[in-house]
Amino acid sequence: MKIFITILLKELISFFRSFGLVILVIYFFTAEVYVAANGMEIEAKNVAVGVVDKSAGGMSKKILSNLHSPEFQTPKFYKSQKELSDAIYNKNIMVGMIFDEQFEKDYYKKLNPTINILIDSTTASQSLMAIGYIQNILMKFNNLELPVALKMHKLFNQNADTGLFMGVSELLSVITLLTTILTAIAFVKEKESGTWDIMLLMPVNPKIIILAKSLSQIIIIMIGVVLSVGLILFQSLDVPINGNLLHFFILTFFYVATTAGIGLFIAAVSKNIMQISQLSIVIMMPIIFLSGAWTPIYAMHPLLQYLSALSPLSYYIEGCESIFFRGTSFVDLLPYFGGVLILGVILYWYGFRKIGKLF
Amino acid sequence: MRLRIIKAYFLKEMIELIRTKMIMMPYLMPLLIVILFGYGIKMQVTGVRTLILDNDNSQISRKMILKFEHSKYFTTTVKNMSEKDALREIKKANIDAIIIIPSSFEKNSLKGIKTEIGVFIDASFPSRSTTISNYIQGVVMDLANDFNINSSGMININTRNLFNQALRDEEMIVPGLIGMVLLISPAILTALIIAKEKEEGTIFNFYSSPVSKGEFLVAKLSAIFFLVSIAIFVIFLVASYLFDLPFRGSFFLFWLASEFYVFTALGFGLLVSIIASSQIVAIIVTLMLTIIPAFMYSGMIMPISSMSGDAFITAHIYPVMYYNHIIYDTFLIGQGFNSPTNISYLLLLFGYGIVLFLLGLLFLKKEIK
Repeated sequence: MKIFITILLKELISFFRSFGLVILVIYFFTAEVYVAANGMEIEAKNVAVGVVDKSAGGMSKKILSNLHSPEFQTPKFYKSQKELSDAIYNKNIMVGMIFDEQFEKDYYKKLNPTINILIDSTTASQSLMAIGYIQNILMKFNNLELPVALKMHKLFNQNADTGLFMGVSELLSVITLLTTILTAIAFVKEKESGTWDIMLLMPVNPKIIILAKSLSQIIIIMIGVVLSVGLILFQSLDVPINGNLLHFFILTFFYVATTAGIGLFIAAVSKNIMQISQLSIVIMMPIIFLSGAWTPIYAMHPLLQYLSALSPLSYYIEGCESIFFRGTSFVDLLPYFGGVLILGVILYWYGFRKIGKLF
Repeated sequence: MRLRIIKAYFLKEMIELIRTKMIMMPYLMPLLIVILFGYGIKMQVTGVRTLILDNDNSQISRKMILKFEHSKYFTTTVKNMSEKDALREIKKANIDAIIIIPSSFEKNSLKGIKTEIGVFIDASFPSRSTTISNYIQGVVMDLANDFNINSSGMININTRNLFNQALRDEEMIVPGLIGMVLLISPAILTALIIAKEKEEGTIFNFYSSPVSKGEFLVAKLSAIFFLVSIAIFVIFLVASYLFDLPFRGSFFLFWLASEFYVFTALGFGLLVSIIASSQIVAIIVTLMLTIIPAFMYSGMIMPISSMSGDAFITAHIYPVMYYNHIIYDTFLIGQGFNSPTNISYLLLLFGYGIVLFLLGLLFLKKEIK
């Protein structure tokens, strides 16, 4: 036990002495999460609109006055359709609206006036949303008396604020990547700097060395997670927590141990830090890809859906989203805990065996 | 500049790249990124798992359920359960949306009394929830239209989706990904092969030999430039055949812009390698400098025209935006050399590359610090 603690402390000290790594870890846990939360905006906001208005102008002005921030920029006016489409082709504007001469007359005669709309759909999702906004605005002018009203409730994130989601999901990816890389580096650094032989000569059970070394990296990551959740998620991003924070930390601990297992495997097969970075990208990419972080799992190809059950990240992401946003109770979280634990035991055991053979 | 020496250095670099298997880097990594992200990022939402609680069980409510069932955007289940149980299902992440039809729905709507349909959407993935709510509104509007509402005087919208008629995700994402990988892979490779010499100490061969700085850089960079130039064609083939992208513009413009852009990326890597003393630092610094601009300030996720303030300026500082403009043009828009914007952006890229290269030449020292 004393040996275990000594190695653990040695690893922690050598981590905090390597200036570059400390900066790296701090950067990823704070700035990276913050930037992702504030910078990635998938919703259509501030859309640039161009207008060609050949009608008398009363009605079209009324409609255009409804295009305002945050969804739209103030519309720019163009003289001809040619100028408008040139502006779209050069990507100066995203949506072009054309009111023809007949527009106003038709409106008052109740003859179904038409607005022609051109959209730059190279950014498909934003253009779709922009069209949705315009449709909603026109609804007001149509004076339809619908006997039905929809009462929309957006659960867990009323304003559909993308930043909250992006912040949490970026933190999870950071945890995944850093744990693998840090654990692998802890071993391979010894190989590179030649201290591996000293480790082999030590009269210490190699199992204790492996456990202590991987636990030290887990501790570092957990410190980073606490920092990131406290400072970035809660302080500056105002992420809500509807579930139990303790559940999140327990789940994170299990998950970090799981990815540490992958790190052990990478450390066992690579000779230098270069290979670690290449291998970890090759291994982690599919795991992130299959996790449902980008595409919901149910929308994937059926074969991929089965494969995604093998990605520990898929349980972890669903679990964390449930804890932060949905406020799910512990009983309903059990499948996620189970998934992470089972995969974790297998992966850690495999990595442990693999690196143990090198001693 | 002595060609003989450059040639010898070039050969040495190539042999070393092959021996260390780093030659895989300009091919394997970009392809992996393009394929994974190209298939992985789906902005469209299909198969929304919807639970309909039909408390009315009338003709209209059944008609509405049919509408949802026939839409490819929804996977519906109709169940009889309490609202509380339904909410618990959404908390367990088994469903994405609940639609509750009230019990006197048919009676009231025939009498013209306003009835409210309750909709609950899981917004823990915000942008998806916005799309889902738009879809549901669309279906309900469609249903209302079936019950001949007086539609005279209604403003019609005639929408034309330019460049990407089918609104395919691939056509929107993949060109941007090309801009991303052609920046990252040459930059990392350049930073690596110089940082590697520093780390292993073989940089002293360069310090002590009569090779000039210019020759050293030209030889090193041209080896990578050559490899990545081949990768341009490989990636182009993947984009057009695997992802079935149209190609509407001029291929010459695409090729020329890509070569200039790779040159710029080499300059990035060169600058990083001057600061970085070890390979791992080189990788990390390059990734930090390249991934964020390539994703966020490139116009791939967020259109440049919608940016404001800082973001707008940042986007114009990085070269990615200019290249992406050209590449989206060649794949989807097809103006080619007729557009002055394309030509000015092309020249900008070239100038950017030259400036970075000269800076690298200036800061590279042929002595121990």
